[in-house]
This record gives sequence, structure tokens and C-alpha cells, in this order.
Amino acid sequence: MIETFRRVLRRLGSVETTSVLIVLCAVIALLGIFLPIRTSNWMVLPFALLMANLLAALATNARLKSQSMLFAFHAALVAVIVLVGLDRLHAMHGRVEVAEGSMFDASAVAAEHGLLHDLRLGEVRFLQGPFEITYAPGMKRRETESVIRIPEQNGGWREVRVGDHTPLIFGDYRFYTTHNKGFAPIVTYVSASGDSRTGAIHMPSYPMNENKQGLAWTPPGATKPLKVWLHIPEPVFDEAKAWKFVKPTNTRLVLIDGDERHELSVGEVVSLGSAQLRYDGLRSWMGYTIVGQSMIHWIAAASLMACLALLGHVLSVLIYGSRIPAAGAEHGG
Amino acid sequence: MVGDIVARDGAAFEAQMLGVAIVIYLAATALSVVVTASGRARQHVTLGLVAIALTFHTIAIAYRWTRLGHGPYVDMFEILSSNVWSLHLAALVVFLSLPRLQPALAATLPPLAVLTIWMWLTPAKDTLHPVTYATIWLPIHVTLGKFFLGLVTPATGLGIIVIGRRALGITLPSLPDSETLETYIYRLLLIAAVFQSLMLIAGAAWAQNAWSRYWAWDPLESWAFVTWTGSLLFLHMRPRSTARPMLSAAFSLLIFGLAFYTFFGVPFISTSPHKGAI
Ligand code: HEM
Repeated sequence: MIETFRRVLRRLGSVETTSVLIVLCAVIALLGIFLPIRTSNWMVLPFALLMANLLAALATNARLKSQSMLFAFHAALVAVIVLVGLDRLHAMHGRVEVAEGSMFDASAVAAEHGLLHDLRLGEVRFLQGPFEITYAPGMKRRETESVIRIPEQNGGWREVRVGDHTPLIFGDYRFYTTHNKGFAPIVTYVSASGDSRTGAIHMPSYPMNENKQGLAWTPPGATKPLKVWLHIPEPVFDEAKAWKFVKPTNTRLVLIDGDERHELSVGEVVSLGSAQLRYDGLRSWMGYTIVGQSMIHWIAAASLMACLALLGHVLSVLIYGSRIPAAGAEHGG
Repeated sequence: MVGDIVARDGAAFEAQMLGVAIVIYLAATALSVVVTASGRARQHVTLGLVAIALTFHTIAIAYRWTRLGHGPYVDMFEILSSNVWSLHLAALVVFLSLPRLQPALAATLPPLAVLTIWMWLTPAKDTLHPVTYATIWLPIHVTLGKFFLGLVTPATGLGIIVIGRRALGITLPSLPDSETLETYIYRLLLIAAVFQSLMLIAGAAWAQNAWSRYWAWDPLESWAFVTWTGSLLFLHMRPRSTARPMLSAAFSLLIFGLAFYTFFGVPFISTSPHKGAI
């Protein structure tokens, strides 16, 4: 029984198995370029097998056991795989758009997270202030500086400036600005029953969708959507020159309700059946990437340990020769 | 206006320095083949020419660096230029340190000539440093990559010789036997694998910094991983191989081919985030 177990373990930990699994990992990585499997659990399988193979090899392979650096290297590799696995289980990645002058709304976050992640975005509170983005000639986006106001215990606000590389840090979460940002007309909608609500309609990302500043929008309580377009009379930028992301002036809101077309300047009101809509003004919205605290520092440390051990192995090969058993010789037991 | 003139004259000076370097690189390549074919064991003049070409090339790169304010790793021209530079430098160092392998320059420099000619045909535009490139991890990542490819390239030169001897019956007595060449291929690829692993780690650190994710299997990352598996497979297959010279030679070519495609093919075919989102 024990002998059979040993034999299976040796087979599992053999270098032949390693070679097959390395090829499998390469094939899956290559397939991932062309098929949508790279974010799927298919990626886990070859690495889990490699892990089993590695553990079995550490337990059974004579050469690994006798060469301390090689052993340390492969052991560190086990640590890296385990840590990456744990990181994936704990990680969180999300996206959210927040309009200038609005509070962050956790329910608006599109998030993906690992099984063990305890999602606590509801505790995050901040107000989006204005932001500035500079562009170099040729439409090259440079620095983003977004002003964030965080409510304090004493009732005041603390101001921080964040960007693509300077995140807003909230406990385990980090918010980074992204290229995704745009304009948000503010509208007040008074329904037939007299309920009045003011909110921001986020137009598609700008300047990426410069010519598609419109969308279908269903007013609160309404059943059918309206088509809403933002008409920007003056171009905001000249592609050949440096410019700053600014809100355009004199914008008009175009509403298409079935066959009817309405065009509103800021402050104007339109009747939509028995409801009313007012165009209050234009703000901008910023898209953030949210990253849940991960174990990257541990992964980095384990990877570095692996590299140091590998370096140690290389030095021993260069100094003492490769000490590789003669070609074809038996080893591994 | 004055700034424009300075920029234009600077670009012209750079182009002249680069032009001289290209001519000398190609002359060194041609000479390496002639010297090895004539059966001589040393390549002093070839290596001297490579050193002179490198000097001109260094001036061109340094001038561009100070003029544009960033290192040569933004567009195709810059990537080709910095790699032509680093790979020739690596070849110079490796073959000066291992003089008995010098005839193998005849198989190492021609692949580099392909890159040199490609660089020559690529327009040198002034580039702007993308914001996502403003991290210390990028130069670390790039430098480690240069060490990796710089070690794989001479190994590939030796691999071509081993395969040429076996497949075409070329004897090349000025070089050690193929078994001996194999130990050099193995050592070069083994050290290269260390740099390759460190390069991947530094790249992941950069990705974490720039896009807040350390690995996302984008096409460039996937190809870099596949190239790494090439090295791993080699290191694990070699100890048990009964035909090491051919195995190591074949892997040197495979790893070089994969690395070449990863370095110079993928970033310019795909729209991976490595290009930096605008
Ligand atoms: C995945 C990343 C891996 C890397 C980077 C790696 C790297 C290496 C290196 C550099 C060597 C030394 C080769 C030499 O000196 O010629 C080696 C040997 C070895 N590796 Fe790995 N390895 C990896 C995975 C594995 C796995 C998953 C196993 C599991 C079985 C394994 C088992 C071995 C064994 C048994 C040896 C000794 C070779 C022999 O005596 O035949 N390695 N590995």
C-alpha cells in the first residue's frame, strides 16, 4: 500500500510530468490569447497540477533534496503559487463612475471579487470634486488630478488629490483615476405625480466617444426610455495641440421622445406628457478603478526569494560544474 | 522657433551618428562570416569594429535621451535601437570573455544584422513618455530584459553552429567540439533564465504600479510567459537528455525565436495595455 503510494508520488513528481505540465501551461496561455479563457478557472487547472507535481518532487526527487539551492528555489516557487492563489481568493477589482459634486455610491460599483473577499465598499464615503487632465499634442493623455473630499468626524471635509498613480486609499481599497471620464448633464425630473428628483446622466466616455455623446435614458418611474444627446457647439480641443479636459460651455441637451424632439439650454424646462424635465447644468464624471488590498508584497517577497535561490544554484553550477548525472542515468528516487 | 531648429539639428546629428554605427555594425557582421569561413580562430578586428559602432550608437542614443528627456523604450524605433545596442554590447562582452568561441560570432551577428536593418528602415520620430511609464520598475524591467536577450543571443549563435555541423556537415575546426559548445549554451541559457525570471517580476511590479494589476494575461504577458516556459522546459529536459548538443541547440533557437517575437512582434501587433491607454 505504502509502496504503491510512493510509486504514485514519484511518478507525480517526476521531471517528465513537470515537462508535460509546463507545455500544458504554455498551451493554455497561448489559447488564452485567442479564446476568452484567460479570466476563467481553466487557468487554475495547470497551475494546480504543477503545484502537486512540485510538492511531490520536493518529497521524492533525490537531486532536488541534495542540492539545497535548487530545493530552496522550488520550495519558494510553491510559496509563490500558494500566495498567488490566496491573493486571487481575496482580491477585488471594480469600476465606478462618480459625477462631480456627488457622493460615491457603492451600489454603482461593478465589482469582481474572490470567494474569500469580504466586500465592504459600503463604508467608503467621499465626494467627487473637480478634476483636471492635461493632454499633449496628438491626443496623448498626461497627468490626471482629481480632487476628493472626505467627510470628517467633526463635520468638516478633508481634501485629497488623487491620480492614475496616486490612489485614494480607504482601508483595504484603493481608487485610481482612469482614462474613462466624461460629461454628466444634471437634470431635475418632476414626474406626473409630482415627485421631483435631481440626478446626473453619465454620457459615454469623452473624448473617446466624442461623436457619440448620447444614450437611452429611462426617467425615474417612467416605462419607456428617452434618447438623450449632449450637443457641444464648440469643440473642446484641437487634436494637434496640447489641451486640458474642460467642461464645454453653451451645451444643449437634446431629448428625443418618440417623434418629438426638444432642445434645452441650461435652466430650460420641457414638458414630457404630464411630467417635466429641467436641464440644470453640466458637470463631469470620473471613472475609477478600485483594487482590493492584495497580497502583492508577500508575492514579491516570495518571488525574490525564488530568484535568489535560483541565483545561488546558478553560481554553484558555474563554480562546481553542472553536477548533472550522466545523460540517461537514473535519478529521481 | 529656436527650439524647433535645435530639435531638427539634434535629430540630424543623431541620424548621422546612427548611420555611421549601422554601416560599421554591418561591416563587422560581414567580416565575422569571412573570418570564420577562412578558418581563423580569433575575431579581433570584428570585435574592434563592433566596439567602434557601439561608440557611435551610444552617442546617438545619449543625444536622443537628453533631447527627449526619456530613455529609448517608447516606440518601435527606440526599442529596436536600444536592443541593437545592448545585443551587440552583450555579444562583445561574451566573446571577449570566451575568446575560444569567437568564430561563433559568424552565427551570432547575422541575426543581429536583421534587427539593425529593421531599425534602419524604421522612421525615427520624436516620442513622448507615456504617463504609465513613469516608474522605476520600467527601466529595471527593460534592463533585465536586455541581459536576458543578451545572453540568449550568443547561445543561439552557438546553437546555429551545433545544428549547422550536424545538419550540413560543416566542421568548423576553429571551434571546440559540439559537446563543449553545448555546456556554454546551457550555462548561457541558465543565467539567461535568472534574468528572464527577474524581468517577469519587475514587469509585474510595473503593471501593478501602472494598471493596478500585476498579471492579466494580456498578449504580451502571455507571450512572455510562453517564452519563460521555453526556458523551464529546457532546464528540466536537459538533465535526462541523451542528445544534449542537439537538444540545447534546438532550445536556444526556440527561446530566441519566442523572445524575438515577444520583444519585437507582439507589442506592435496587438493593442495590449502595455502601450498605455490614452
Ligand atoms: C515552474 C517553474 C520552475 C522553474 C523556474 C524551475 C527551474 C529549475 C531549474 C533552474 C532547475 C535546474 C536545472 C539545471 O541545473 O539544469 C530545475 C531542476 C529541477 N526541477 Fe524545476 N523548475 C520549475 C518547476 C518545477 C516543477 C513544477 C517541478 C516538479 C517536479 C520541478 C522539478 C525539478 C527537478 C526534479 C529538478 C532537478 C532536475 C533533475 O535532476 O533532473 N521543477 N528546475
